[in-house]
Amino acid sequence: MESLRRTFRLLTYNKVGFIGLLGVIFFVLLAFVGPYFVPLDTKTKVDKIYEPPSKTFWLGTDSEGRDIFSQIVHGGKDVLIVAFLAGIISTTIAVVLGSLSALAGGGVDGLIMALADIVLTIPQFPLLAVLAGLVKFNNVTLLAVILGVLSWPALTRAIRAQVLSLREREFVEAARALDLGTKHIILKEILPNMMSYIAINLIFAMTAAIYAQVGLVFLGLVPFSGHNWGVMLSLAWTRGAIFFKDSLWYIMSPVAAIALFQLSLISFTRLLEEIFNPRLRTSV
Amino acid sequence: MAETTQTPYTLKVENLRVSYQAERGKVKAVRDVSFTLQTGETLAFIGESGCGKTTLGLSLIRLLPTTAAIEQGKIIYHHNGEDIDIVNLNEKQLRRFRWREFAMIFQGAQNAFNPVLRIWDQFWETARAHGETNKRRLRERVEETFRLVQLDPDRVLRAYPHQLSGGMRQRVLIALGLLLKPPLVLLDEPTTALDILTQRSVIDVLRDLKGQMSFSLILISHDLSLAAELADRVATMYAGTLVEIATVWDAYYHPLHPYTAGLIRAVPTLSGERQDLVSIPGSPPDLISPPSGCPFHPRCPYATDECRQKTPPLIEAENNHLVACWHWDEVAADGGARMKEQVEA
Amino acid sequence: MSTVQAAQEEAPQKTSSWLQRIWRNYMLRRVAAALFKIWIVITITFFIVRLMPTNPIDAYVNELMDQYGFSYEEAKDQAAALFNIDLDSSLWDQYVQYMVNLFHGDLGTSYRSKGTPVIKMIAKFLPWTLFSVGVSLLISFTLGILLGMIMAYRRESLLDHTLSALASIFSAIPNYLVGMMILVFLGVQWKIFPITKMRGSMSPGMRPAFTWAFVKDIFYHASLPILTYVLTTIGTWMLAMKSSTISTLGEDYITVAKARGLPERRIVTAYVGRNASLPLFTQLAISIGFIVGGSALIEFIFVYQGIGQLLLSSINTRDYPVMQGVFLVITISVILANFLADFVYGWLDPRIRI
Repeated sequence: MESLRRTFRLLTYNKVGFIGLLGVIFFVLLAFVGPYFVPLDTKTKVDKIYEPPSKTFWLGTDSEGRDIFSQIVHGGKDVLIVAFLAGIISTTIAVVLGSLSALAGGGVDGLIMALADIVLTIPQFPLLAVLAGLVKFNNVTLLAVILGVLSWPALTRAIRAQVLSLREREFVEAARALDLGTKHIILKEILPNMMSYIAINLIFAMTAAIYAQVGLVFLGLVPFSGHNWGVMLSLAWTRGAIFFKDSLWYIMSPVAAIALFQLSLISFTRLLEEIFNPRLRTSV
Repeated sequence: MAETTQTPYTLKVENLRVSYQAERGKVKAVRDVSFTLQTGETLAFIGESGCGKTTLGLSLIRLLPTTAAIEQGKIIYHHNGEDIDIVNLNEKQLRRFRWREFAMIFQGAQNAFNPVLRIWDQFWETARAHGETNKRRLRERVEETFRLVQLDPDRVLRAYPHQLSGGMRQRVLIALGLLLKPPLVLLDEPTTALDILTQRSVIDVLRDLKGQMSFSLILISHDLSLAAELADRVATMYAGTLVEIATVWDAYYHPLHPYTAGLIRAVPTLSGERQDLVSIPGSPPDLISPPSGCPFHPRCPYATDECRQKTPPLIEAENNHLVACWHWDEVAADGGARMKEQVEA
Repeated sequence: MSTVQAAQEEAPQKTSSWLQRIWRNYMLRRVAAALFKIWIVITITFFIVRLMPTNPIDAYVNELMDQYGFSYEEAKDQAAALFNIDLDSSLWDQYVQYMVNLFHGDLGTSYRSKGTPVIKMIAKFLPWTLFSVGVSLLISFTLGILLGMIMAYRRESLLDHTLSALASIFSAIPNYLVGMMILVFLGVQWKIFPITKMRGSMSPGMRPAFTWAFVKDIFYHASLPILTYVLTTIGTWMLAMKSSTISTLGEDYITVAKARGLPERRIVTAYVGRNASLPLFTQLAISIGFIVGGSALIEFIFVYQGIGQLLLSSINTRDYPVMQGVFLVITISVILANFLADFVYGWLDPRIRI
């Protein structure tokens, strides 16, 4: 009971961050659990086009009279899955390359850093757009992989710096003295000290992935089927939803969902920063 | 106050009290400090770190950080026959007072200059802020001052601060301080963070300057030898209070306060017999809740119950020698020998 | 006074040529790095175009053969002509030819707009992006620095908290969503901006000239994209400047400056402002890349004829030479802009320059 209370105190220490956490949980539940409770409305109702929110249609209806809220509920899954996958891939690459770069030093370090510098300089979205023009992104995994592969440089720099500083610390020297091997050193000694970095950067990678995928889908560069938020945006746009007073909800619902989710993620990182701050943990 | 007021004075401080607001509580950094700085003299303030010397210095030009405040007291600057209370100056008057009348030269000149401006620009803007409009006249003045501190004006004025060594920066700061020929100068730890050779040259420069230009100097230092070389009188501070003011000779050879005696004895000498190293046992007191009575009593071998209960006032024990101690006569009698006996294990 | 002489011997940097050498060294390093990056990007682009499994040249050849009934030879010749490559020669020769062409500013010819050289199309669209992005960066940076300093000086005040919150919020939301919100709310719902009239980079019938009417017009049309860019990037500058100012305010030379009796205005500008803004220049590169990268989306939303629009239209119409050319130009612009930012930073901070 005591540890539960402590955990709660820890989580609520940063109020903004806590709200972010709630937001993230809300959207995750909405996207993954929601579809079981809210069926997707696919019936065209010509007499109910662009209705404002009401008791039956919580967020109103779209250009074909379909319930917007159900679309939002079903639309989050793809976005979140791609974001999470891309984030994991990006973080893994960054951790591996960053540690390698820091521990190996010399030529390997220089090469990896030069590579990171180049990838960082190339503007991400145009590159993605061009790749989308050349390669068919028709499944979720491929998109996630590409996104992940393109966003590792930023985190790699940070990881490398952190590993470099940790490398000189006593517990690593002790491990080395005990001849515990490089893999052990990385996994057991260095990684646990970087968890805060890694977790926070995972979230940032996710926000970047959301930005990119929604942008690509919105522009129609990635032929996404389904009803995810990006597709909703794209459809609303091509139907001219921005120009009608009544279609406000159609266009703004996915906008709000995406924006709120991004905000929640970023606020959540504040909370993570505080949680991983050791000084804070002991005082709570 | 039993100090002589017949000799002309430049600065008179009365019952100054300065406190900081810290997280744990109010830190009483300067407690009822009073002294008079006579015109043309060098008064050195010595004491351990945290005894309040720097806070005292900052309060004299009212450059305390926002967490600190002068709670009470007067700081009277006497110039041209007028008495000006620094504590009540407004912003504009304060700006005119600073540097023009009273130059405070801080410790650590390492970072005393704006890194993106050349040295000459920083001299020019200082002069301009105080009404100078003639660049050529200023240039002459600066070159003259640079010669006094033994710096090459052509090289140094063109340079940026990071191009100069620590010792040079210190001397530039001194030159800047004397640029406007202020009647009152304060040097806070002028030789800390300098190597021995540079220290020597800076001290020599200071002594020359003191001789050539006439200004009254307040010297803050924990370096007793520096005080010995430059000061006319020495004031010892402990836990925010003044515990002794004496001529430099009396301070070193005839201290009346146990703490001063302990400080003097703690400095090993090069000449003479080898002595055991002495230091004053214990640590400086907590200034949020200082000890009752005399602040030094927890560490004092002469302490009695009276010391624990009543705070000794600063009195003129001997001619021109003030001390705040109930048992100064015992200290005078044995030359502070009891401090020597308390050798730290 | 031998000790004093000794102390004087440790002089500052020796002669001016040495200073200039170090300065050039920094710049040389930056120039070399920029050129190297440009070369890498050009090479990568070349190989992507040639070697990807669905590479554009083969795709075009197939298209010509399938849809227009060209023979393989004819199709190959056509593709080669438009891309300005000799497909029969070795890969290395093609690469060299490609580089030579680039040097002459020859980026090939558009597939779809027959006969139009890519470089001409880019020249038509690029200035608008440079204009809107440039103005946005300028406004965002300077306003961000100003606000950041204000926030630092009035720390923990209501103003500070409000601005910090706004900064965080607008930086988190994707910039194209902010653009959409501007369109929907300010344009359609509350009718503050006449968005249909504001489309395009200039009003129809306007001719580019150095007249006040023209300048007013292009600003009018660029105002919404600029507003979006500024809103979404100013937050980063505000927060960065706030923290930089706070740490600068704690520096010794600020206290000494006050002790010297310098006027407050001088201290705020030449002492706090200049020193606190220096570190921000190193982050300029990221901002440039971000804005340019997002230009494709923002220009699409506001129907602004910049290079981002050209990129999108070329992708949608599979106009590969244009795609390749635009991508190259975008990336090289970013590299050059970063170089410029490095240059300005090196010029502003004497510790780097000398």
